[in-house]
Amino acid sequence: MKKSILFLALVSVMGASYAQKKTTTSATISFDATTKLDALPKGDNKTVVASLDTKKGTVAFESVVKSFSFANPKMQEHFNSGMWMDSDKFPKATFKGTITNLADVKFATDGTYKANVTGDLTIHGVTKPVTTTATVVVSGKAVTTTSDFTVALADYGVNGPAIGAGKVATDPKITVMAEFK
Amino acid sequence: MSVVSSKRSPWIKRVLIAGLTLLIAGAVVIYFIFTEKFTDTSKKDAAFTVNAMDFLREFQKSDSLANKKYAEQIITVRGRVTETEAADTTINIKMIDTATAAYIIFAFQQQHLAEAKQLKAGDSVSIKGSCSGGTYSDILETEFVTFKRCAITK
Repeated sequence: MKKSILFLALVSVMGASYAQKKTTTSATISFDATTKLDALPKGDNKTVVASLDTKKGTVAFESVVKSFSFANPKMQEHFNSGMWMDSDKFPKATFKGTITNLADVKFATDGTYKANVTGDLTIHGVTKPVTTTATVVVSGKAVTTTSDFTVALADYGVNGPAIGAGKVATDPKITVMAEFK
Repeated sequence: MSVVSSKRSPWIKRVLIAGLTLLIAGAVVIYFIFTEKFTDTSKKDAAFTVNAMDFLREFQKSDSLANKKYAEQIITVRGRVTETEAADTTINIKMIDTATAAYIIFAFQQQHLAEAKQLKAGDSVSIKGSCSGGTYSDILETEFVTFKRCAITK
Protein backbone atom coordinates (compact mmCIF):
# COMPACT_ATOMS: atom_id res chain seq x y z
CA MET A 1 0.00 0.00 0.00
CA LYS A 2 2.80 2.40 0.95
CA LYS A 3 4.56 1.54 -2.32
CA SER A 4 1.38 2.31 -4.27
CA ILE A 5 0.99 5.68 -2.56
CA LEU A 6 4.67 6.42 -3.22
CA PHE A 7 4.24 5.48 -6.89
CA LEU A 8 1.14 7.66 -7.24
CA ALA A 9 2.94 10.56 -5.59
CA LEU A 10 5.85 10.11 -8.01
CA VAL A 11 3.48 10.09 -10.99
CA SER A 12 1.81 13.27 -9.67
CA VAL A 13 5.16 15.01 -9.27
CA MET A 14 6.17 13.97 -12.80
CA GLY A 15 2.83 15.23 -14.11
CA ALA A 16 3.31 18.55 -12.38
CA SER A 17 6.81 18.76 -13.82
CA TYR A 18 5.50 18.27 -17.38
CA ALA A 19 2.82 20.91 -16.77
CA GLN A 20 5.56 23.45 -16.12
CA LYS A 21 6.27 23.54 -19.84
CA LYS A 22 3.48 25.55 -21.44
CA THR A 23 3.03 25.93 -25.19
CA THR A 24 0.87 27.86 -27.62
CA THR A 25 0.50 27.80 -31.39
CA SER A 26 -1.12 31.24 -31.54
CA ALA A 27 1.54 33.59 -30.24
CA THR A 28 1.74 36.81 -32.24
CA ILE A 29 4.67 38.77 -33.62
CA SER A 30 4.09 42.25 -35.03
CA PHE A 31 6.66 43.89 -37.21
CA ASP A 32 6.69 47.68 -37.74
CA ALA A 33 9.28 49.08 -40.14
CA THR A 34 7.32 52.16 -41.16
CA THR A 35 9.10 55.46 -41.77
CA LYS A 36 8.04 59.03 -42.57
CA LEU A 37 8.35 58.11 -46.25
CA ASP A 38 6.38 54.86 -46.17
CA ALA A 39 3.58 53.68 -43.89
CA LEU A 40 3.24 50.26 -45.55
CA PRO A 41 6.02 48.03 -44.17
CA LYS A 42 4.23 46.57 -41.18
CA GLY A 43 2.67 43.17 -40.72
CA ASP A 44 1.98 40.45 -38.23
CA ASN A 45 2.06 36.71 -37.73
CA LYS A 46 -0.63 35.27 -35.46
CA THR A 47 0.35 31.61 -35.77
CA VAL A 48 3.70 31.62 -33.97
CA VAL A 49 4.66 28.53 -31.93
CA ALA A 50 5.98 29.37 -28.46
CA SER A 51 6.95 27.58 -25.29
CA LEU A 52 7.61 28.64 -21.71
CA ASP A 53 9.09 26.44 -19.02
CA THR A 54 8.10 28.11 -15.76
CA LYS A 55 10.47 25.90 -13.75
CA LYS A 56 13.60 26.34 -15.85
CA GLY A 57 12.72 29.83 -17.13
CA THR A 58 13.35 28.88 -20.74
CA VAL A 59 11.37 30.50 -23.56
CA ALA A 60 11.30 29.71 -27.26
CA PHE A 61 9.53 31.09 -30.32
CA GLU A 62 9.29 29.70 -33.82
CA SER A 63 7.80 31.82 -36.62
CA VAL A 64 7.16 30.82 -40.24
CA VAL A 65 8.27 33.87 -42.24
CA LYS A 66 5.62 33.38 -44.95
CA SER A 67 2.94 33.55 -42.26
CA PHE A 68 3.49 37.30 -41.87
CA SER A 69 0.46 39.04 -43.27
CA PHE A 70 0.58 42.57 -44.71
CA ALA A 71 -2.29 44.78 -45.86
CA ASN A 72 -0.57 45.45 -49.20
CA PRO A 73 0.23 42.55 -51.58
CA LYS A 74 3.36 44.22 -53.02
CA MET A 75 4.74 44.79 -49.52
CA GLN A 76 4.24 41.12 -48.64
CA GLU A 77 6.00 40.12 -51.87
CA HIS A 78 8.96 42.42 -51.05
CA PHE A 79 9.12 41.12 -47.46
CA ASN A 80 9.48 37.51 -48.65
CA SER A 81 11.81 38.29 -51.56
CA GLY A 82 15.57 37.82 -51.74
CA MET A 83 16.03 41.54 -50.99
CA TRP A 84 14.45 41.17 -47.56
CA MET A 85 13.73 37.97 -45.66
CA ASP A 86 14.34 35.48 -48.50
CA SER A 87 11.70 33.20 -47.02
CA ASP A 88 12.23 30.38 -49.54
CA LYS A 89 15.82 30.05 -48.34
CA PHE A 90 15.22 30.96 -44.67
CA PRO A 91 11.66 29.81 -43.92
CA LYS A 92 11.75 30.25 -40.12
CA ALA A 93 12.75 32.90 -37.59
CA THR A 94 13.44 31.57 -34.10
CA PHE A 95 14.28 32.70 -30.59
CA LYS A 96 15.63 30.56 -27.77
CA GLY A 97 16.24 32.25 -24.46
CA THR A 98 16.14 32.22 -20.69
CA ILE A 99 14.59 34.41 -18.01
CA THR A 100 17.63 35.60 -16.06
CA ASN A 101 15.69 36.89 -13.03
CA LEU A 102 13.46 33.83 -12.64
CA ALA A 103 13.25 34.24 -8.84
CA ASP A 104 11.46 37.60 -9.35
CA VAL A 105 8.72 36.09 -11.54
CA LYS A 106 6.22 34.21 -9.35
CA PHE A 107 4.43 31.93 -11.79
CA ALA A 108 2.38 30.47 -8.93
CA THR A 109 1.07 33.85 -7.76
CA ASP A 110 -1.26 36.12 -9.72
CA GLY A 111 0.39 39.40 -10.62
CA THR A 112 2.38 41.38 -13.15
CA TYR A 113 6.13 40.87 -13.27
CA LYS A 114 9.07 42.20 -15.24
CA ALA A 115 11.24 39.46 -16.71
CA ASN A 116 14.73 39.95 -18.10
CA VAL A 117 15.22 37.67 -21.07
CA THR A 118 18.42 36.85 -22.88
CA GLY A 119 18.89 34.45 -25.76
CA ASP A 120 19.64 33.85 -29.42
CA LEU A 121 17.53 35.34 -32.19
CA THR A 122 17.82 33.79 -35.63
CA ILE A 123 16.54 35.78 -38.61
CA HIS A 124 17.52 35.39 -42.27
CA GLY A 125 19.86 32.54 -41.29
CA VAL A 126 21.90 34.78 -38.94
CA THR A 127 21.95 34.17 -35.18
CA LYS A 128 22.68 37.03 -32.77
CA PRO A 129 22.42 37.36 -28.99
CA VAL A 130 19.50 39.48 -27.79
CA THR A 131 18.66 40.85 -24.35
CA THR A 132 15.25 42.35 -23.67
CA THR A 133 12.59 42.71 -21.01
CA ALA A 134 9.14 41.17 -21.00
CA THR A 135 5.99 41.85 -19.05
CA VAL A 136 4.61 38.65 -17.54
CA VAL A 137 1.01 38.60 -16.32
CA VAL A 138 0.00 35.58 -14.24
CA SER A 139 -3.72 34.98 -13.79
CA GLY A 140 -4.60 31.57 -12.42
CA LYS A 141 -3.05 29.00 -14.75
CA ALA A 142 -2.78 31.48 -17.61
CA VAL A 143 0.49 33.29 -18.26
CA THR A 144 0.63 36.15 -20.77
CA THR A 145 3.98 37.49 -21.89
CA THR A 146 4.59 40.65 -23.92
CA SER A 147 7.86 42.10 -25.13
CA ASP A 148 8.85 45.04 -27.37
CA PHE A 149 12.29 45.43 -28.85
CA THR A 150 14.02 46.62 -31.98
CA VAL A 151 16.15 44.65 -34.39
CA ALA A 152 18.90 46.16 -36.54
CA LEU A 153 18.19 44.60 -39.95
CA ALA A 154 21.82 45.08 -41.06
CA ASP A 155 22.96 42.79 -38.20
CA TYR A 156 20.97 39.99 -39.83
CA GLY A 157 22.20 40.63 -43.37
CA VAL A 158 18.95 42.30 -44.48
CA ASN A 159 20.03 45.23 -46.65
CA GLY A 160 17.38 45.84 -49.31
CA PRO A 161 17.49 49.06 -51.40
CA ALA A 162 14.26 50.29 -49.76
CA ILE A 163 16.14 50.42 -46.44
CA GLY A 164 18.86 52.59 -47.95
CA ALA A 165 16.20 54.82 -49.52
CA GLY A 166 14.58 55.41 -46.11
CA LYS A 167 11.34 53.61 -46.98
CA VAL A 168 11.96 50.81 -44.48
CA ALA A 169 13.19 51.45 -40.93
CA THR A 170 16.74 50.27 -40.27
CA ASP A 171 15.63 49.14 -36.77
CA PRO A 172 12.03 47.87 -36.97
CA LYS A 173 10.00 47.54 -33.79
CA ILE A 174 9.07 43.97 -32.94
CA THR A 175 6.24 43.15 -30.52
CA VAL A 176 5.88 39.60 -29.28
CA MET A 177 2.83 38.41 -27.35
CA ALA A 178 2.08 34.89 -26.14
CA GLU A 179 -0.75 33.63 -23.98
CA PHE A 180 0.00 30.29 -22.32
CA LYS A 181 -2.80 28.34 -20.67
CA MET B 1 15.45 82.96 -85.99
CA SER B 2 11.81 83.25 -85.15
CA VAL B 3 11.02 80.89 -88.06
CA VAL B 4 13.33 78.20 -86.60
CA SER B 5 11.82 78.48 -83.13
CA SER B 6 8.27 78.26 -84.47
CA LYS B 7 9.24 75.03 -86.28
CA ARG B 8 10.74 73.49 -83.11
CA SER B 9 7.90 74.47 -80.87
CA PRO B 10 5.39 71.75 -81.91
CA TRP B 11 8.11 69.08 -81.54
CA ILE B 12 9.05 70.26 -78.04
CA LYS B 13 5.38 70.43 -77.14
CA ARG B 14 4.84 66.85 -78.26
CA VAL B 15 7.82 65.64 -76.22
CA LEU B 16 6.62 67.54 -73.19
CA ILE B 17 3.08 66.20 -73.51
CA ALA B 18 4.36 62.62 -73.99
CA GLY B 19 6.71 62.97 -70.99
CA LEU B 20 3.96 64.40 -68.81
CA THR B 21 1.55 61.64 -69.88
CA LEU B 22 4.12 58.98 -69.04
CA LEU B 23 4.83 60.63 -65.69
CA ILE B 24 1.13 60.74 -64.77
CA ALA B 25 0.58 57.15 -65.94
CA GLY B 26 3.60 56.00 -63.89
CA ALA B 27 2.36 57.86 -60.82
CA VAL B 28 -1.10 56.31 -61.18
CA VAL B 29 0.38 52.78 -61.55
CA ILE B 30 2.64 53.28 -58.50
CA TYR B 31 -0.30 54.71 -56.52
CA PHE B 32 -2.46 51.68 -57.29
CA ILE B 33 0.32 49.17 -56.55
CA PHE B 34 1.10 50.69 -53.16
CA THR B 35 -2.44 51.44 -52.02
CA GLU B 36 -3.81 48.11 -53.17
CA LYS B 37 -5.12 45.83 -50.42
CA PHE B 38 -5.59 42.08 -50.43
CA THR B 39 -9.03 41.27 -51.74
CA ASP B 40 -11.58 39.44 -49.61
CA THR B 41 -10.52 35.77 -49.69
CA SER B 42 -14.16 34.64 -49.83
CA LYS B 43 -14.36 36.26 -53.29
CA LYS B 44 -11.28 34.49 -54.64
CA ASP B 45 -11.23 31.15 -56.44
CA ALA B 46 -9.47 28.29 -54.68
CA ALA B 47 -6.65 26.59 -56.58
CA PHE B 48 -7.27 23.40 -54.55
CA THR B 49 -10.04 21.98 -52.38
CA VAL B 50 -8.71 19.40 -49.94
CA ASN B 51 -9.65 17.19 -47.01
CA ALA B 52 -7.80 18.42 -43.91
CA MET B 53 -6.25 15.13 -42.82
CA ASP B 54 -5.23 14.07 -46.36
CA PHE B 55 -3.69 17.51 -46.86
CA LEU B 56 -1.77 17.23 -43.58
CA ARG B 57 -0.49 13.76 -44.54
CA GLU B 58 0.97 15.21 -47.75
CA PHE B 59 3.06 17.62 -45.66
CA GLN B 60 4.06 14.89 -43.22
CA LYS B 61 5.21 12.74 -46.12
CA SER B 62 7.32 15.50 -47.71
CA ASP B 63 6.87 19.13 -46.72
CA SER B 64 9.26 20.31 -49.46
CA LEU B 65 7.08 18.72 -52.17
CA ALA B 66 3.86 19.87 -50.51
CA ASN B 67 5.21 23.42 -50.14
CA LYS B 68 6.04 23.55 -53.85
CA LYS B 69 2.48 22.53 -54.61
CA TYR B 70 0.52 24.54 -52.06
CA ALA B 71 2.52 27.49 -50.63
CA GLU B 72 1.04 30.90 -51.38
CA GLN B 73 -1.99 29.31 -53.08
CA ILE B 74 -5.62 29.92 -52.15
CA ILE B 75 -6.91 26.61 -50.79
CA THR B 76 -10.24 25.45 -49.39
CA VAL B 77 -9.78 22.98 -46.53
CA ARG B 78 -12.67 20.80 -45.42
CA GLY B 79 -12.47 19.29 -41.96
CA ARG B 80 -13.54 19.26 -38.36
CA VAL B 81 -12.51 21.95 -35.88
CA THR B 82 -10.37 20.37 -33.16
CA GLU B 83 -9.88 23.50 -31.11
CA THR B 84 -9.98 27.28 -31.16
CA GLU B 85 -7.12 29.34 -29.79
CA ALA B 86 -7.03 33.04 -28.90
CA ALA B 87 -4.38 35.01 -30.79
CA ASP B 88 -4.16 38.41 -29.12
CA THR B 89 -7.61 39.92 -29.81
CA THR B 90 -8.37 37.49 -32.66
CA ILE B 91 -8.98 33.76 -32.87
CA ASN B 92 -7.34 30.91 -34.76
CA ILE B 93 -8.98 27.65 -35.75
CA LYS B 94 -7.05 24.37 -35.57
CA MET B 95 -7.54 20.99 -37.19
CA ILE B 96 -5.32 18.44 -35.48
CA ASP B 97 -4.32 14.92 -36.45
CA THR B 98 -4.76 13.41 -33.00
CA ALA B 99 -2.52 10.42 -33.82
CA THR B 100 0.57 12.55 -34.55
CA ALA B 101 -0.35 15.96 -33.07
CA ALA B 102 0.37 17.49 -36.51
CA TYR B 103 -1.98 20.37 -37.18
CA ILE B 104 -3.32 22.99 -39.58
CA ILE B 105 -3.91 26.46 -38.17
CA PHE B 106 -6.04 29.17 -39.76
CA ALA B 107 -5.71 32.91 -39.06
CA PHE B 108 -8.64 34.96 -40.34
CA GLN B 109 -9.16 38.13 -42.32
CA GLN B 110 -10.55 40.94 -40.17
CA GLN B 111 -13.95 40.88 -41.91
CA HIS B 112 -14.34 37.13 -41.23
CA LEU B 113 -13.32 37.09 -37.56
CA ALA B 114 -16.89 37.25 -36.26
CA GLU B 115 -17.80 34.04 -38.17
CA ALA B 116 -14.64 32.32 -36.91
CA LYS B 117 -15.50 33.21 -33.31
CA GLN B 118 -18.78 31.31 -33.67
CA LEU B 119 -16.97 28.03 -34.39
CA LYS B 120 -16.37 25.45 -31.68
CA ALA B 121 -14.59 22.12 -31.38
CA GLY B 122 -16.35 19.39 -33.34
CA ASP B 123 -17.89 21.67 -35.99
CA SER B 124 -17.53 20.59 -39.62
CA VAL B 125 -16.33 23.49 -41.70
CA SER B 126 -14.81 24.62 -45.01
CA ILE B 127 -12.16 27.28 -44.64
CA LYS B 128 -10.60 29.12 -47.56
CA GLY B 129 -7.29 30.92 -47.11
CA SER B 130 -3.79 31.62 -48.31
CA CYS B 131 -1.52 28.71 -47.44
CA SER B 132 1.79 29.90 -45.95
CA GLY B 133 3.21 26.38 -46.16
CA GLY B 134 4.19 23.69 -43.71
CA THR B 135 7.24 22.92 -41.64
CA TYR B 136 8.43 20.81 -38.72
CA SER B 137 8.21 22.46 -35.32
CA ASP B 138 11.32 21.92 -33.21
CA ILE B 139 9.37 23.14 -30.19
CA LEU B 140 6.37 20.82 -30.57
CA GLU B 141 8.22 18.09 -32.50
CA THR B 142 5.49 17.78 -35.09
CA GLU B 143 4.53 19.06 -38.55
CA PHE B 144 2.29 22.11 -38.86
CA VAL B 145 0.74 24.02 -41.74
CA THR B 146 -0.28 27.65 -41.44
CA PHE B 147 -2.89 29.71 -43.28
CA LYS B 148 -3.42 33.46 -43.34
CA ARG B 149 -6.32 35.74 -44.49
CA CYS B 150 -8.91 33.00 -44.10
CA ALA B 151 -12.67 33.05 -44.60
CA ILE B 152 -15.31 30.47 -43.76
CA THR B 153 -17.06 29.22 -46.86
CA LYS B 154 -19.57 26.89 -45.21
